[in-house]
Amino acid sequence: MDTTKSALRLAGTGLAGAFAAAALGCVSFDTRDGKKVKVWATSSGAIVHDPNLCVGCRRCESACTIKNDGKVSAYISRIKVSRNLNYGVMGVTAAYQKADGQHGNFRIVGETCRQCSHPACGDACPVGAITADKKTGARVVDAKKCVGCGACQRACPWGIATVDPETDTSTKCTLCGGDPNCVKNCPTGAIKFYPWEEAEALLFGPDATSGATDAVSGATA
Amino acid sequence: MSVTYGYTGKILRVDLTTGKIWTDDTMKYKDYIGGEGIGYKILWDEVPAGTHPYAPENKIAFGAGPLCGTGVPCSGRTTITSLLPTSPFHGAGSSHMGGYFSVEMKYAGWDMIVLEGRSPKPVWIRIEDGKVKLEDARWVWGKGIFDTMAMIGSQMGKEAQIAAIGPAGENQLNMSVIRTGTSHSAGGHGGIMGAKNVKAIAIKGTGSVKVAATPEELMALDKYMMSIIGANNQMVIPTVPLPWAEYSDKGSRWTGRPGLYWGAANPPVETGECNPADMQSVGKRTQKAVFDLGAGAEKYTVRMGGCAHCPIRCHAQLNVPQLEKYGMDPNVSNTCVGWSGPRGVMSLVGIKEFDGNGADSSIVGNGIGTTMVDDLGVWCNYGQIGRDVKWFYQKGVFKRVLPAEEYASIPWDMLEKGDARFLIDFYTRIANKQGELHHILDGSAWIAQRWGLGDDYWDAKDNKLWTRGGYPVHHSNEAGGQVGALISCFTNRDSQNHSHMNFIGNKLPIALQKEIAAEIFGSPDALDAAMDYKPMNEAKARFVKWSMVRGRLHDSLTLCNWMWPMAVSPQKDRKYRGDTTLEAKFFSAVTGVAKTEAELDKDAERVVTLLRALTVRSMGTVDMRNQHDNTNEWITKADKDKPQFTPGTIQMEKTDLELGRTMVYKLFGWDEKTGAPTKATLEALGMADVASGLGEKGLLPV
Repeated sequence: MDTTKSALRLAGTGLAGAFAAAALGCVSFDTRDGKKVKVWATSSGAIVHDPNLCVGCRRCESACTIKNDGKVSAYISRIKVSRNLNYGVMGVTAAYQKADGQHGNFRIVGETCRQCSHPACGDACPVGAITADKKTGARVVDAKKCVGCGACQRACPWGIATVDPETDTSTKCTLCGGDPNCVKNCPTGAIKFYPWEEAEALLFGPDATSGATDAVSGATA
Repeated sequence: MSVTYGYTGKILRVDLTTGKIWTDDTMKYKDYIGGEGIGYKILWDEVPAGTHPYAPENKIAFGAGPLCGTGVPCSGRTTITSLLPTSPFHGAGSSHMGGYFSVEMKYAGWDMIVLEGRSPKPVWIRIEDGKVKLEDARWVWGKGIFDTMAMIGSQMGKEAQIAAIGPAGENQLNMSVIRTGTSHSAGGHGGIMGAKNVKAIAIKGTGSVKVAATPEELMALDKYMMSIIGANNQMVIPTVPLPWAEYSDKGSRWTGRPGLYWGAANPPVETGECNPADMQSVGKRTQKAVFDLGAGAEKYTVRMGGCAHCPIRCHAQLNVPQLEKYGMDPNVSNTCVGWSGPRGVMSLVGIKEFDGNGADSSIVGNGIGTTMVDDLGVWCNYGQIGRDVKWFYQKGVFKRVLPAEEYASIPWDMLEKGDARFLIDFYTRIANKQGELHHILDGSAWIAQRWGLGDDYWDAKDNKLWTRGGYPVHHSNEAGGQVGALISCFTNRDSQNHSHMNFIGNKLPIALQKEIAAEIFGSPDALDAAMDYKPMNEAKARFVKWSMVRGRLHDSLTLCNWMWPMAVSPQKDRKYRGDTTLEAKFFSAVTGVAKTEAELDKDAERVVTLLRALTVRSMGTVDMRNQHDNTNEWITKADKDKPQFTPGTIQMEKTDLELGRTMVYKLFGWDEKTGAPTKATLEALGMADVASGLGEKGLLPV
């Protein structure tokens, strides 16, 4: 849930020192048993999507990609609505009429980047291209460093990080530097940015409203 | 291929006879904008006059335009162009669907998909970006559209966007649809897919649409647009007095208000005040379920749905548990005539209380009708099917033409009692091509011949049939008098034009409407108060031309003509003015090709004129005025006790309408006598090839 679990296993450097370094992004330490551990600054917050309010217009996806990529796409949008629109997160089943999605109960589950405390994407990146943004704490891809290997895409339990097939560069939620464009352009207020504690409860808590928790049962931050 | 902005630059061509798949260059057709315009050009170039719609030689194009996929508000529509089976001379026409299909097509790298030939066996077309494959469809042939989509989705992946036909299309019935998403249907072309042995097209796209403008420029334009946009059909004032609103009108589609909910959402969602300054309530301002189905529908409303990149959600999405009694999915969605068309079959007495459904019988009945039609893929011909059933039953036509045994097997008692279970029996029969009854799906022009229907059928006011072409009113003389009436005269199916309706119906006070009309059309007399129509004038003709041009423009760009153009706005400080240059602004920003409003309208005028040329060519005559544009008698016959041009009647006057036709012909540069495009006009529009094609056949007016 937070950075303390692995921080407790750190050797050499005091915890206070680790956090001071992490506040500026992320730093790596060697543990007593010789493993490398990264310590990440907590994100300022995360974007949460409300499946009850969403109307499936996908303006969030066009807003995301025009701002971040200068072109419009659904596949590389950092908020993922399109892929769940028809049949929900679980996909097509024989019981599709009762399941989520436009062909079922109409419920539309958008998945957002959780800006995880221990981001699998960042930990998996072999070239250190994913770091915590100094201003927002969002886990961001440095396009100049990214080699497009897809390790982040394979590692993310939520399927958010996506390699753009047109540029061979990974895309993931940047929080738009603190003013997320998807949030601003949602016509029903279904997408909101929450400070970290609230976001964490909404995304990972027992009463999580984001359908993303349906996707990988038992997964945690 | 160089980078193209807005356009992907590629058209996917598939010959189903040979299985050949190839790529065509979009940009060679750029004079025709996209979508509908390019579709007509392909028909003009490649499908000879006299081709039967179901012949392998006919082609069907699924078109998107340069704005589709870019996030421009209301840009999610697909325009399908082909010959029209319902037309007695198989004229060209377009059918349209909303949803997400065309956006996925663009992201897969295609501006259009054009099918020709006939597959030797049932297939569906798998498109994954640049990879295109014909797949065996025998396992989905015969299935309803809902299951078809799920079965193909299970192979393609959950995110695939699919357009499919049901049994009606497979059976090559003229009144059948191509459907996408849960509730988006393009009427009139389903049988062509069936004739080509194509059950569905399924697309997944991982690419993008490139935009020429900087992100900041496009976002600023979008923000501005979002301040201009109204509710569904560009209605700009709410149904009830609200603190922010100067006006209100009970008939508005801006139904959102405090105390009105999406009642079946969990928890229920209040539509609220919907202040136009609040960008994050735009999607709540149209609660369409209560508008379409009455106040009782509020508690069944799960949410509002609609199309890609549209903030105005006009499809009501309901959970009606009673539908499970009839073996149906309780979740049902649609909008406007998507409800009233299918249920219209009950119009003999309407839907009464039935099967213990009590006060909500009508909502349950609507759900049954829409579910049947959307699954079987039947087209209502913009509500004509209901008027036909009523007329044929009352006038004894069914009794006369159906074999006695078939007639006796139909549960007419349910129709007479208003029991909506009649719809289950009725649609199952006709979509599956059973008995003589199914010929009702041939369309009015063909059943009139087959069943020997005379002038009384065509000329009855209640039948609302516009011309002998077999199509009904669609915002015709009831929508702006001559303006709507004339717009309805130039197509080969219901005109599907909302450019004028989105103006006339905006619910602003008439004085204000006239003021705005004067600015756009040169005179306040372009517009009359509803039910108080005055004789024809030049400003009305300009209104007609503008409406036709914008209709084709939107179906080519592709923007939704059920929202666009933006002639008005909800903003008091703009004096409710909209911005009619917005299409050109977005076009210029997205494509990087700077065009003024007038220049873009000129391009769309080319599309209008090409459709006209196609009609001349398929009818084999230049005499459009008498052979094509003339209306049925009821339109120009005075109401009892209400002469034309007195308050309270929508009836037109014959010589006045002829004058209107002349004025419109003149504005388009068509021959004033016949209404056919002249050589000079075609050449001035850069359509010399069309002029010479018509000339070779002796189809240029002299």
